[in-house]
Amino acid sequence: MDAWQLAGYAAWAISALLLGWMVLDAIRVNREYSEDLLLSSREGYDELLEHERTGDRR
Amino acid sequence: MARRYEPPRQSGIGQFIDSIFIVALVYAAMFLPLIFGLTGGGTVTNVPETVTWESLGQNPTMAAQWEKLGYTPESAAEIISTRFDYTIDPVWFIITALVIGGYFVFVVRYSDKEYREVISERFE
Amino acid sequence: MTDHAIAAGQPQRINLLKVLGPAHVWALGVGIVLVGEFMGWNFSVGKGGALGSLIACWVIGLLYTCVAMIDSEVTSTVAAAGGQYAQAKHIIGPLMAFNVGLYLVMAYTMLEAADALVVGDLLAAVAGTETFNTQPWVVLTIAVLAFLNYRGVFMTLTVNFIITAAAFISLVVLFVGTQPWNPGAVLQHRELLTDLPYGWIGVIAAFHFGIWYYLGIEGTCQAAEEVRSPGRSLPLGTMSGMITLLIAASITWYAASGLLPWEYLGQAFTPMYDSAVVTGSDFLKVFLAIGTVLSAVASANGCINDAARAWFSMGRDRYVPLWFGAVHPRYRTPFRSILILIPIAISFAFTGLLDQVITFSILSGLLGYTFMPINMILFRRKWPLNSIRRGYVHPFHPIPALVLLALCIATYFAVFLGYGNQLLAMMAFYIGASLWFAFHRYKYVRRGDQFTMSWPKPQGY
Repeated sequence: MDAWQLAGYAAWAISALLLGWMVLDAIRVNREYSEDLLLSSREGYDELLEHERTGDRR
Repeated sequence: MARRYEPPRQSGIGQFIDSIFIVALVYAAMFLPLIFGLTGGGTVTNVPETVTWESLGQNPTMAAQWEKLGYTPESAAEIISTRFDYTIDPVWFIITALVIGGYFVFVVRYSDKEYREVISERFE
Repeated sequence: MTDHAIAAGQPQRINLLKVLGPAHVWALGVGIVLVGEFMGWNFSVGKGGALGSLIACWVIGLLYTCVAMIDSEVTSTVAAAGGQYAQAKHIIGPLMAFNVGLYLVMAYTMLEAADALVVGDLLAAVAGTETFNTQPWVVLTIAVLAFLNYRGVFMTLTVNFIITAAAFISLVVLFVGTQPWNPGAVLQHRELLTDLPYGWIGVIAAFHFGIWYYLGIEGTCQAAEEVRSPGRSLPLGTMSGMITLLIAASITWYAASGLLPWEYLGQAFTPMYDSAVVTGSDFLKVFLAIGTVLSAVASANGCINDAARAWFSMGRDRYVPLWFGAVHPRYRTPFRSILILIPIAISFAFTGLLDQVITFSILSGLLGYTFMPINMILFRRKWPLNSIRRGYVHPFHPIPALVLLALCIATYFAVFLGYGNQLLAMMAFYIGASLWFAFHRYKYVRRGDQFTMSWPKPQGY
């Protein structure tokens, strides 16, 4: 019974660690890169068409 | 449409409020039926007076499987005797059909109106 | 050709990574669905009896075969991360697209919450203590999978391939373990199968949960922007996924209906685990418990992937705040969308309302399937064959579209039988959201930019 409780605390701790890392990383990215670059993706048609035209699949 | 439509810039606060609004709407849709007690399937339960595997309509093979799962006739009686109620209320049936049908007609029609604008701007 | 002005003056443009192959597509589609074979499909037994469930399994299998055919054609042509959302945007129009995007986000986020609940509940069953707290396990499941998704799609779906295959194998092992070649030894179909308890109306009612045999296979489309060659990989991954699921659904039904009385099966929370218990084999018991957890994890993983892609695409078009349309410069994932959906999924899971959450997920899926035939018919009308290059052309048009539409209508009726109130509550949600979008949100959207395919002008416009 105690083992499960302990494992439960460990689960909370690991979750907090992972979630914390993601939030910090997201904040770091927001600082280091310009918003225009982050929002620069477009629906992937252009690349696809290039491949189709040249017959290059990779 | 000769002129391109230039949308207004949305403030950070506005973006935040819009995000919150959608989430709030989802919660409302989930909890409203719960608050008004409208959830769950419509079921009826008729437990026979004397509860044995036979009176519950279970043959020996079925009874054996129930027992392997740890049930007795008493503990299984309610599960076995619960049935869905499939009587159809015509008024609600028609209302539901109209709501779903109307929703799709509205969405497709209104989308088409917006779509014409998109196409004329894209292919001008 | 309108090239987008934002790119001018920028050193480069970042997109999602194109790294996935057909196996990843298969893992994404089957991974999301397979949990339905371990639990949930059996509620159809409750609504229509064991034979009713089998008929529903086949009829709904036909529904999904139509879905897979239609999706393969449209997505191999509209290869964008939003999947059906991007299809709707190009073929029907903005309001429909907004609704489809919401169906996707809702169906997947709700399913993700349900999957996490299942992991917690199964651990609680294993622990066997009354004070067991499932919350840390629900959060841990979502946190680990979100982390995986955040760090890159290739690893995410490679992991999904492995756990999905393992879960599928556990179903096959159970099937073999019941000695299907030796009826009467373990399997007792002769004694356990009854007549239809509700008659034929029960068979129709069973369509409702029959959807759970396959719900989510259409999620393969969400990978379109990250697949190396969408024209080949998407139809291949989707169709092979569909075949896998038809096999899985059949052996699942056969094993479970030969082991459990239908009244029990119709309300069980872990039917495959219970089936293993009844065989009396400890090996099968452990194996199926692990299989159930793996299938739930694989499903949640795929759901995070898909819900985030849909939300991301809507952000890119400003259907929801633009902020969400960002790509991580290093991992090339829609990181803000992944992050924002974490607390939402966790809060849904913490409500503990498994059946509400599931019903919402099923109905959102069903609305999405109703959209598909309309989409397909308009697609062929606006761009007839040979007017644009299609990656795949499905045969017998418009029969699959019409069959799909008819089956959707029958399934609404099935949901109405017994769950009419939830159906109306959910319609109220989508109607409210539509009005909000049409009369408020759409003013922030750039009109012409929504159409990104390099196709000719649609016919009739």
